[in-house]
Amino acid sequence: MVIKNNKNKEGLLREFSKGIFRQNPIFVSVLGLCPALAVTTSLENALGMGVAVSFVLVFSNSIISSMRNILPNKIRIPCFIVVIASFVTIVELLMAAFAPLLAKQLGIFVPLIVVNCIIMGRAEAFASRNSVLTSLFDGLGMGLGFTLAISCVALIRQVLGRCGILVMLLPPGALLTLGFLMGGLNLMKKEK
Amino acid sequence: MENRLISSTSPHIHKDISIKRIMWLVFFSLVPAGIAGIFLFGSNTLWIILVSIISAVITELLIQCLRHQKISITDGSAVLTGLLLAYTLPPTLPLWMVALGSFFAIAICKQAFGGLGCNIFNPALGGRAFLLLSFPKYMVRFIAPFGSADSVTSATPLVLLKEGNLQSISQIGLSYMDLFLGRRSGSLGEVCIALLLLGALFLLILRVISWHVPLSFILTLGITSWLWSGKNFACGDWLFAILSGGVILGAFFMATDYVSSPLTRKAQLIFGFGCGLITFVIRKWGGYPEGVCFSILIMNATVPLLDRFFPPRVYGYKK
Amino acid sequence: MSFAAVLSIIVSMVFVNNFVLSKFLGLCPFLGVSKQTKIAAGMGIAVIFVMTLSTALTWLVYRFLLIPFNLMYLRTITFILVIATFVQFVEMVIAKKSPLIQRALGIYLPLITTNCAVLGVTVLNINSFFVNGRPVYASFMLSLLQSFFAGVGFALALILMSGIRERLELNNTPKSLRGIPVAFIIASLMSLAFMGFKGFVF
Repeated sequence: MVIKNNKNKEGLLREFSKGIFRQNPIFVSVLGLCPALAVTTSLENALGMGVAVSFVLVFSNSIISSMRNILPNKIRIPCFIVVIASFVTIVELLMAAFAPLLAKQLGIFVPLIVVNCIIMGRAEAFASRNSVLTSLFDGLGMGLGFTLAISCVALIRQVLGRCGILVMLLPPGALLTLGFLMGGLNLMKKEK
Repeated sequence: MENRLISSTSPHIHKDISIKRIMWLVFFSLVPAGIAGIFLFGSNTLWIILVSIISAVITELLIQCLRHQKISITDGSAVLTGLLLAYTLPPTLPLWMVALGSFFAIAICKQAFGGLGCNIFNPALGGRAFLLLSFPKYMVRFIAPFGSADSVTSATPLVLLKEGNLQSISQIGLSYMDLFLGRRSGSLGEVCIALLLLGALFLLILRVISWHVPLSFILTLGITSWLWSGKNFACGDWLFAILSGGVILGAFFMATDYVSSPLTRKAQLIFGFGCGLITFVIRKWGGYPEGVCFSILIMNATVPLLDRFFPPRVYGYKK
Repeated sequence: MSFAAVLSIIVSMVFVNNFVLSKFLGLCPFLGVSKQTKIAAGMGIAVIFVMTLSTALTWLVYRFLLIPFNLMYLRTITFILVIATFVQFVEMVIAKKSPLIQRALGIYLPLITTNCAVLGVTVLNINSFFVNGRPVYASFMLSLLQSFFAGVGFALALILMSGIRERLELNNTPKSLRGIPVAFIIASLMSLAFMGFKGFVF
């Protein structure tokens, strides 16, 4: 029993950590790019977006995982969409109530969390096949990985933008930053 | 796999033409206009040109060293990019910005795609667009000719026309001859039309560049400006439209870049037409006073498609 | 609805606020389907079609269902369901009626459901053409116009990108930048070029 517990803990930890590095949604799986580029004009926006996406990811993963045995296979995708959209609506309303400034800054990208491929991807690839607890940790890890990745992009853009290179705060700067970050990671992987 | 040498079957044509020769010919044809710029705007101009060229060459050298490639800085392509970029800058730009723009042009617009012959966008114009969006305040600080470097800033004729809604150049206090000789404020290498045309003529005679892109570019811009830029239909000032801004520099020396312009004559005519049209649209309705740089960049993006629809004739086949 | 207003919506949607290059909507298909020009053109047409018709549907639903019952907060969830159902429906109709279109566009339709550009344009239309829960003058026509040209902008960027990427296949691009990173760099430079239309006023 003790051994099994330990194994479980290790397993959970692995599910948690894979989202941060090995399967980072932005840099490795290249999913959910729209917010990664659009809201990374400042670190605060990026963090806000990261928290919102993590919230939806954790809850949708757990709910979908708990329903995985009762959902008919044929209509699973529409069901996922409904679950995800409900949580996005909750986030939208919460944000409008408690962080109206952030909600205004993120604008159209809050409702667009619905179509963020990470969330749908994790629901389909992971939560519909694994237990509630592992799905929860998977969601947490992926959310954290996403937050870290977009904060990284935001930090680079904001620092360079503050240095006077205004183009980094405009759309071309976002695309450029992400392109070179990915290239840099490829380079590091090759050298390993 | 690096730098595969693709050799087709015979017949091979031998011609006394090389990248190096072309690059240096274009370089020397541009030199007179630069000297005129130094003469008009002071010694700061010379520093900008030098910094731009040196930064371009060092960037190219560093990247080629890092990628373990053959060092090819003597082929003149980096030098030419640096020179062309400098010609599109205002004469008061701080030197570190010049160096940064030159770095962007070589590292991102050229080497990130694989180096000479692989770039999609004209590197010098990419560098200019980057600088224009990064440092908008500095990139529009022009000075009047024959003043000292710290003299009062003066707007270019295009800006004056756009902001003041003036209808003729006499209202700005300039004559066509002033524009032709370069007695106006503007980017340091674009102002002296006479010497630029001389250089272009030299290249045309040596057949380094063809007339297709520049002619259709300038003709389109002239006709559209004549038709729609005036108060009434068909009374716009077409000569002013052609002689102001960077049209001559862009049409003859940048839109004709071998790598980033189409291969066949027909496609080149369309390419030039697109450049002229977009330039006119940006000048007339856009937020920027000048659209040459952006129009060439936008048309650069269409080149792969143009080449696809108008493929070059395969040697040995009839049409 | 003046001529100038129409033209500025067109230029804004196609160039200045291009959905892919400036708002980053629909980046996944932009990167995934831009390797060949033929496929890119098919995808572009499919997106224009779905965007315009989804806009019509969601506008009607919002105006005549959500507003009267004061259910505006259900906008996101309703819209995504309308779009998903609509795409599914189109797929079925096309499969039945026209095998030719099915062969040309069939594979793109499922991809479009999760294309954030489609949901994006419907939400954007509501944001720009409804003031305090009331449609502005000619709201429906303006919405259709905006979404059609948002689709055109998407298709334009996609087709240009595919041409460039086809050419890059033969290039000596640095190994670590091959594939997606260089696609981002191209997109960045294209976006830089399209910024030239900034501040467009008729």
